[in-house]
Parts: sequence; structure tokens; C-alpha cells
Amino acid sequence: MVDTSDPVTQWAFMIVVSVVMGTFLLIAVALFRRWQQIRYGRYVHILQLQYRPVLARVLSGARRPADIDTLRELPLSDLEILFEPLFSRRRLPERCLVFFQALCLELGLIELWQSRLASGRLAAPSSSGNGANHESLGRSGTRIFLQAISIRNLGALRHRPSWPLLIKALDDRRPEVQFVALRALGAMGAPASFPVLRERLHAVAQGNSPSPPLRGLQAAMASFDLACVPALLPSLGHTDRHIRLHSTEILRTIVCREAARQPRLALTQQLLTPQIVELLLAALAVDTNSETRARAAEVIVFLADPRATPALRNLLLDHQWFVRLRTVQALAHLRQSAAPLHLQIRGCLRDSHWQVREAAIRTLLSLGPEGTNQLYEHFLTSPNHTTRNQIVQVIERRGLMFKLVELYSNGTNGVDARMVEQLAIGAAPLGLSEVLRTLTPEVRLRFLSRFFSDAEAKIRFHEGKQPDVESTLSPKHILDFPPHLAA
Amino acid sequence: MSHIHTFFDDWVTVFNLVVLSYFFLGNGIYTILMLLSLRATWVHQRQMAYQGLEALRHSPLTPPVTIIIPAWNEQDVIVNCVRTALQADYPHLQVIVVDDGSTDRTLDRLVKSFGLVEMDGAYHPSIPSAPVRTYYINPTVPSLLVVSKVRGGKSDALNAGINLCRSPYFCNIDADCLLERDSLLRLMDPVVNSAVQTVVSGGIIRILNGCETRGGRLLKVGLPRTWLERFQVVEYLRCFLSGRTGWHLLGGTLIVSGAFAVFHRATVIEAGGFSHDTVTEDMDLIVELCQWAADNHRKIRTSFTSDPVCWTECPSTLAVLANQRRRWQLGLCQTLWKHSGILFRSRYGIVGMLSFPFHSYVEGMGAVVEFLGYVLVPAFIYLGMIPSRLLLVFILLGFVYGGFLSVGAVLLEELTYRRYPRLKDLVTLLIFALFENLGYRQLVLYYRFQGVLKFLAGSRRWEKVAHVGATAEELP
Repeated sequence: MVDTSDPVTQWAFMIVVSVVMGTFLLIAVALFRRWQQIRYGRYVHILQLQYRPVLARVLSGARRPADIDTLRELPLSDLEILFEPLFSRRRLPERCLVFFQALCLELGLIELWQSRLASGRLAAPSSSGNGANHESLGRSGTRIFLQAISIRNLGALRHRPSWPLLIKALDDRRPEVQFVALRALGAMGAPASFPVLRERLHAVAQGNSPSPPLRGLQAAMASFDLACVPALLPSLGHTDRHIRLHSTEILRTIVCREAARQPRLALTQQLLTPQIVELLLAALAVDTNSETRARAAEVIVFLADPRATPALRNLLLDHQWFVRLRTVQALAHLRQSAAPLHLQIRGCLRDSHWQVREAAIRTLLSLGPEGTNQLYEHFLTSPNHTTRNQIVQVIERRGLMFKLVELYSNGTNGVDARMVEQLAIGAAPLGLSEVLRTLTPEVRLRFLSRFFSDAEAKIRFHEGKQPDVESTLSPKHILDFPPHLAA
Repeated sequence: MSHIHTFFDDWVTVFNLVVLSYFFLGNGIYTILMLLSLRATWVHQRQMAYQGLEALRHSPLTPPVTIIIPAWNEQDVIVNCVRTALQADYPHLQVIVVDDGSTDRTLDRLVKSFGLVEMDGAYHPSIPSAPVRTYYINPTVPSLLVVSKVRGGKSDALNAGINLCRSPYFCNIDADCLLERDSLLRLMDPVVNSAVQTVVSGGIIRILNGCETRGGRLLKVGLPRTWLERFQVVEYLRCFLSGRTGWHLLGGTLIVSGAFAVFHRATVIEAGGFSHDTVTEDMDLIVELCQWAADNHRKIRTSFTSDPVCWTECPSTLAVLANQRRRWQLGLCQTLWKHSGILFRSRYGIVGMLSFPFHSYVEGMGAVVEFLGYVLVPAFIYLGMIPSRLLLVFILLGFVYGGFLSVGAVLLEELTYRRYPRLKDLVTLLIFALFENLGYRQLVLYYRFQGVLKFLAGSRRWEKVAHVGATAEELP
């Protein structure tokens, strides 16, 4: 049927054969790669079986010269394989960092990594042995890969003398190397590198330099200690709005991380320098860029300065809703010292934006009994059923309903009791009944006996209607409450 | 009479050209995509080897994410899916399950398994959705919120989830999916490290059938037992590792699986949320976002990464496979038709000039062209209406080259992620890749052709894909 003497047919036939051969070539490559991988896996397994106990003894701190000598005899490439899990799995703990640095230095690993970066070329391992060419087995030793591994390891070890090499790596044309160098610089946290990074930030934010990537730079700078913050002063007071924004974001991140470590963090002038405090209160809190104002608010919250309270008050009244939102969210960090701002935060419960209202509810709840009381008072007096719904929702999601019911069952009076009564008569028709259902019989009995002690009034109130969220939360019904319930 | 004969001859010639151009274009572009993917996946995998995820996990710049799980009659799989979502390794995570008016025990199982209690909720819809009826929480599992709403379809359930979500990003996963522990971190990596705002980040879907799971965790990766499922494993590898990675590199991502993707919440809300117009709301949203961004002069980025893995069940019977493929093709045609305005419009960049036309011709119309090609070309050759040498070209393009591409995808997997650890699995995959184009592709093509017919008939019916229980648990 097919004329094989036809040139077109011959061409087609040749192409078919080529494609079939190409397919089988791909199959062969796949099988070869698998074979290589199996071989490499076996090599690593044997190496680990043989030397892991030695490494474990060395890392445990039992410094036996024989063990160190055994490791020293290994080719550097094998040592890298042995040490790889320590660098790649998790952050090295602080307590063993000095010892680990000394070990790597003694074994010549740091020198190897530094030489790879300094030359910009692949440095050959200084010793040879049975596994010197292991990289050709599975982890093919491309230049970029080994450079990146070296950068990462120096960063993970926090070997601060190597920071100039990492800064040099930022000029590498390959984004992968720049990226890992930024991360390593952040992990290392060498104070001397911070001003250099700041200058890079200026260049990138102003568009004078396309690399390194802005986000990576920002993340790296945000990883530095609070002690480096004074070096941010030129950026915070810069005339370029982008630089101000990025540097405020870096400052905010450093401060928030520090606050998570120290719950009672207070930023004094000694910590931040008087110039930065002044900038925050006088310039950044009223910056033309609302994003900068929002970020500044999150730092001002931690300032130990009497001028911080009026600045925060103004930020709570900002015309941009997300500035108000971030300020009210940040105020949750204040704990007990937020007393002068309680009323302003309570004012946010009447905000036009629902996210600000919700954030205010959460903030008040996180401010302890005083804040909680402010929230309950607002709930009992507010005619706005949307806000009341939001309050109920947050109370239930936080599991506070259980606590309220228990307090009420134990005979507690005051705002908590009035709150429970309002919730019971319809403000939280679902949540409260669910809580009652899960209570122990004794607590439930105590609750019901107290609640129905004034049964006649309640029956009158419920007469002819079954409460639901919408109807019971309207202002009219709040006024209809029995006198002892209508606060 | 001779006029009719001439007309018929012309028609046959044109038809042959269309069929051949379809195969040349499709195979050519897929080869380019495969080569691009090979390099990109290799580089990405190396990057992950030395970067790791530790920095991202502890970075203060890693934004919170909410996982939204829409569920409709998913009683067999929902509990494991929620467990896997709650176990995800991510610093700030919330999980919202939207029960879209299930008529089975989906909600009941959730309430019992997670000790949920009803609560009073406040709903602030930013995008329209059917009303939410009930909220369920367990204060001891604060990161989980379950809501029950009036049935409105998957896109409506997702919209309700977006309304309840408080984080800047949300990730939607299907109820029959299992996430790998670090997949969300991997999915967020391009979002956090991108200079341009990334509004969509998609990951790879792999097939769960044949794997060993327990309590929402994947214990052992393996190949499924039946030929139908094994062909789908190869097909998924080709589609995700070659196709989508390649399109991502070209900047023409048009499809990100709705079973596992992260979206920027505010941008999705601005673009109007998930639409009810099509049965593939995921693709529709991506195209909508591209269109919206270009129209509003916004610089956004869509990303696809091939190492965040979500494991999902694939159909194990022909009937279920037919349902699934008809729906996918129907949704594709609906989306292409709905957004046909961006076709060959330079303002939409690569999407408008290359990706959308390619999907329209090769993926959309291609189902008809290829189906008719398989039926008519052999018939024409048999009747002597076209030269017999075309048969060789047709065999080359239709069968042999497809095998080359499928084997290439398996090789890509082997060079990079190597998820199937046993040598036996690799050999099986290679054999199935070799023969994927001899029968299976034609079968799927037939279902896709039916999907096109459904589109032409104006159907909008969602065909539910039944789960056989790879992620399922025994009902109490």
C-alpha cells in the first residue's frame, strides 16, 4: 500500500525511525540516571554507616583526638556529604555553634568554602581518597551548586569573618547565587554588613541597580538584630518615599520579632537612638505614604516615650482604614500599658470598616480584664447589631463562652453576668446552647437555676416569640429587656 | 458533477492540512515546553537543595494563608482532607471548610471527628455567594472553621470561603486531596521571593491511587494497579512537569489546577471572585485575572512550581474517567469562548498572543480535529483520496511522537523529583509512557470530543466524579 521508493515516504520513514530511536535513548538515559542514583545512594549509605558514629561522638562534645584524626583523613568532599544533613535540615542551635565552627575550621571546611567564593571557581578538594569523585556519581558538581552550598554553609555557621565574600557573591550575575547569599547574610547577621546592605537597598529601591532582588534584600536586613537598627537612620529619613517605606518595613519586622522574644519589650532612646525615635514620631507617623504610616504605627506601639500615646491616637483616627486596622492590631501587643488608649480602641468598635471593628474586638480581648470589660460594656450598651454579632463571634471562636457560663454558674455578678444574660436571651442563640449542652450536669443545673430564678419576667419577655439573632439584637428589643437585664 | 468532485477534493486537502498542522503545532510546542521545563525544573530542584525551606518557615515576611476546602457530598474523604490541611507545615495557617449544602453525612462526620460546636457567626460578603447557614468551631482547634451554606456550586462555596478568609492569601484544595506536609511552604516560596506581586501560585497534582495513606498522611508512594490509573500517572506527569512548567517559563500560564493553588485574596476579590459561568472555575479565574490585570494596567504574575505536591484520586473506571474528561473539556471550551476577546490581542502579552491561541486550537478545537483525523484520514487513504505516504506521517505524528513526549516526561521526573523510588516503578512508567498513545490517548480524545459536543449543545451540568476511596475512611 505504501510506496517505499517515494522520497517523501523515505523521509517520513527516516523521521519515524529517528523518533523511535530518540524515545529509546530517553529510556536508556532514565535507566542510567536511576542506576547512578542507586550507586550514589549506596556510597552515601556506606559512608554514613562508617563515619556517623565518629561524627556523633565529636558533636556530642567528647573531644577525642582519634575521632578528629579519623575525620581529618577523609576527603573534604566526603566530609561535606557527612555534614550535609546538619546544614540542610534545620537551623543550627546557638549552643553548639562555636564548637561546630571550630570543628569546621579545624577540618578545613571553612577554608574550602571560602576559597570557592574567593576564586569564584570550583576549588578542588585538598585531599584525595576513595570518594573524591563522588560528585560525579549523583550530585553532579556544577559550579553554581557548590558555590551555593558554600554560601549557605557559611551563613548557617554564622561565620562572620566571611561576610565580605558573601557581599561579593551579591554581584554574581546568577540570581540563584545572589538569593542564597542574601539569605546567608541575614542568617549570619554580621553588623558590619548591615550598612553595605542598606546602600544596596537604596540603589535597588531607586532603580539604580536591578539586583539583588528587593524582597530578598528586605528579608535579609530584617533578620539582623535590634542592635543594628541605628544604621537604618539614613534610610528612615531618606527623601525617597520607597526607601522610607522599605526601611520602615525592615524596622517593623525586626521590632516585631524582638517583641515575640521579649513580651515586655520597650524601645528606649538608648536602643533606637533619639534620632530614630524622633523620626518615628514626627515624620513617619505622619508620612505622606499611608503604607509607611501603617508600618510606623506598629513600631510606635513599643516606644517607651510619652509622645507615643498621642501619636497612636492620631493613627487610630487616620483616614485610611488599613492604617487604623494595623494600629489597632498592633495595640494588642501593649498588654497592661494600653490603659490610656482603651477608650480609643473601644471607639474603633464603631469604625466604618468591619475589619477594623473585628481587630478592635480582638485587641480589647488581648488587653486583659480591663480590655475585656470595655468590650462587654460596649456590647451591653451598643444598639448596633452588626458589631454585637461580631463580638459574639469572636467570643465564641476564642472559647470565652465556656468561661462566661462557668462564672455565671458560680454566682459571679457584674458585667460578666449581664453579658451572659444577654447572650442567653438571644444574642448568641446557637453558641450558648452548644456550650450548655457540653457542660457537666452540675454546672448546667447551677446555670439554669440561677438564670430561671426570675422565670416570670423571662417568660413575659419570651411570650409569643422565639428569639433569633436579628430580632433580639435590634435596639427596640434591647429596650424591651426586663429592667434587671437591660443594663 | 465535476464541481462537486473538485469541491470535495479541496475539502479533503484542507482537512488534511488542518489535521497535519494540528499535530505539527501541538507536538512542536510540547517539545519546546518539555525542553524548557527540563532546564527550569533541574535548576529549581537544585535551588531547593541548597536553599531549603527553613528560611521561609521562619521568615517574618511569610504571609498567613487560609486553606479553603469546598465540599459537597464528600463524606468518605473530607475528614482525612481536613486532617492533612491542619497538619500542613506552615507558620500562620487557618483552615475553612465550606460545606456546600451536602445531602450526605459530610457535615456530621466533620462535627464528630473534630468535636465541633455550632457558633454564631458574622458574615461580611465581599463577593456574592449563597447565604451561610451555620458556623462550627472547636475552641481547642482555633485554626479550623467549618461553615454550612445553601448549595450554590463549587465556585460559590469558594467565594463564601474567600468572604470568611482573613489572610492575604488563600489556598483552595479539593476534598479528595492530601497535601504533603511542606507543600504549602513550597507553594508560597515563589510568592514570597518574587519581585512582582504573585497573585496565583500553582503546584503539581500527583495520583494517590496505589499509594499507602493513614490518617491524612501519605506513608508510601507507589503506582496504581490498573492500567487505566497507570496511564493517568504518565499523563499527569506529562501535563504538569512538561506542559505547565513550560508555560510558566514563557509567562503564559493559563491553567492552574483548582485542586491545589494559592491566590492573592484582595486581587481575586477585585477581579470578582470565582465565576459561576463555567464548570472549570479555576481556569476561568486565571484568564479573568490576566485580562483584568492588563485592562487595569496592573503588573501581576502567575506562577507554577512543580515541587509542591498535592496527591489526589484519579478515576479508576472508564465511566468516571469519561465524566471527568467531558467536564474538563466542557469547562475549557466555555472558558475559551467566554474570554475569546483576548485572542491575538497584544495588550494581553504572551497569554493573548501565544498561550490562549494555542489552548484554543490545540486543546479546545484539537479534540474535534484529532478525533476526525483518526476517523477520516485512514478512510481517505483507504479510498485513495489522499496519498498513502501520508499514512506514515500520520502514524509518526499521532502515535510515535506522542510516545516520545510521554517518555520525555517520565525522564524529567527521573532527573528531578524521583517520587517513585522503586526501579520496578520506573520501568513500569516507561512502558506505559511508550504505549500511552496507542489506545489510551484515543480513548480520552473520544471523551474530550463528547465534551465539545456538550459545549455546542449548551450544557452547563457539573458531572461529579465519584471517589473510590484512596483517601477514604470507614464510615462510623
